[in-house]
Amino acid sequence: MNKLIYPAIATLILLGSAFAFVATSYKIADGYNIEFSSSDAGGVFKTFKGTIVFDEQNPAASKFDVNIDVASINTGNGLQNKHAKSDEWFDAAKYPQIRYTSKSFTKTGSGYQVTGDLQIHGVTKPTAIPFTFQKTATGGVFTGSFTVNRNDFKLGKPGGDVGEQIKIDIKVPVTK
Amino acid sequence: MFKKALILGIVSGLLAGVAGLIYAHLYYSINEADFGKVASSIRIVAGSVAGGILAAIGFWALNKWLKNNGEIVFNLLFSILSFASLLTPIAYRLPRELETPELFPGMVIPMHFFPALAWFTLKPLFFRQKTI
Repeated sequence: MNKLIYPAIATLILLGSAFAFVATSYKIADGYNIEFSSSDAGGVFKTFKGTIVFDEQNPAASKFDVNIDVASINTGNGLQNKHAKSDEWFDAAKYPQIRYTSKSFTKTGSGYQVTGDLQIHGVTKPTAIPFTFQKTATGGVFTGSFTVNRNDFKLGKPGGDVGEQIKIDIKVPVTK
Repeated sequence: MFKKALILGIVSGLLAGVAGLIYAHLYYSINEADFGKVASSIRIVAGSVAGGILAAIGFWALNKWLKNNGEIVFNLLFSILSFASLLTPIAYRLPRELETPELFPGMVIPMHFFPALAWFTLKPLFFRQKTI
């Protein structure tokens, strides 16, 4: 009997620690900001949804599966919005969503980095996004910034007034 | 001449401002698009009065310079410039928190014609037409 006690305790501790490492599922709270900017164009996407599971202690257990409604683009100018949604750019009618699905997470010196598939305009590219997570009383705030080349996603024509490198800044408050 | 033109410019600017405020109110009640942050009541009236004063200066200068043809050139210029000024609201970039920027030109474009309309409406009261 005594022989069984220690393995049983060890198993219990192991199971307990596994529960302690279960990543937290967060809800996206209001006040998020998905902003893009280039040399001649800039704007925000107003609608952002998805699943965010994140564990600071064990980033490998985390999971991001988020999407942006392309039609929610707002550049601050009605004509530009229409142009951005047209088939020359995002083609919102054919590709209504921008999607990001995480594949792996790593801890970095200043925060974390998620690597995953970014799908824009029907083109999927592996994309790494460095980000930070700041805990708050009710959840936390994810902040990240990265750059994509619009030509990789066949957005617009190469060259032209709009810069090819598009900087994307993300700030997403979340609640538990 | 300049005094009369200036009074006409100010009065027609004020009239255009009042018309702009009424139109903005109507536009908001129809479309529920509130652009008060960028086109506030003060800005609408101030912009209209500024338009009227600029028109007065232009009217006085052209009449002085071109004598009999001054008014013809002024009327043409005032209409052309009012029309050309439409590019400003079309190209204007609103703060991104405003939801429907596509409705903004519809509100502001008519207002760009109000100073000219008010000027042409009130001018006969200030400058009596000579009988032929």
